[in-house]
Amino acid sequence: MTIAATQAALAYSATRPALTPEPGVGRTASEAFAGTAQEFLAQMQHGEDVARASMAGQADPHTLVQALAETELAIEAAVTVRDKVVEAYQEILRMPV
Amino acid sequence: MYDLSESRAVAATGMHTQARRLRLLSENIANADTPGFRRKMVEFEAKKEGGVELGKVHLDRTQLPQVYDPSHPMADETGHYIGSNVDLLIEIADAREAQRSYEANLKMFDQSRKMSSSLMDLLRR
Repeated sequence: MTIAATQAALAYSATRPALTPEPGVGRTASEAFAGTAQEFLAQMQHGEDVARASMAGQADPHTLVQALAETELAIEAAVTVRDKVVEAYQEILRMPV
Repeated sequence: MYDLSESRAVAATGMHTQARRLRLLSENIANADTPGFRRKMVEFEAKKEGGVELGKVHLDRTQLPQVYDPSHPMADETGHYIGSNVDLLIEIADAREAQRSYEANLKMFDQSRKMSSSLMDLLRR
């Protein structure tokens, strides 16, 4: 059974619509990234607020320690993900053309 | 990661309640010589979403002792005045227990923090 090149190209272009994302379902990659960045900033902001209140003697020291521990882990996670992304980018750059 | 951060929150409630318990104990010890003082007691209750909180603070209703001291300004004709029902031995033993529980909760907090951190370390090469 021989498949002509033109028939193969037609079949390939016929499957293209299956790859396009449906509108209104889920988030695009850029929206997902922006949402994650905002959640990260909210976490940092919460940690800063608790630290400021605790320095003025308003907040509970246990809340302060808990907020700072969560902030530290969030930063560690963000830095690790950034390192992985940069490493992947460099791997791709090193690919022989 | 959510379970680990929830365990940190639960350990924080444990530390917080032990600190409040210690405050009540210091009030009792400070008022050990106050005439007519009844010691404050409180029970712990489990929180629905995990963790612990204090119940209502109530007074110990045991009978107040009659202390014999004719030179006391509040002594009556027989030389007695009504003391307080604080027993220093019980209060100090409770304070030791509060300290041990506090340290145990602190260890839990530190443990879960170390576990999260070492999990992140996996991704770094």
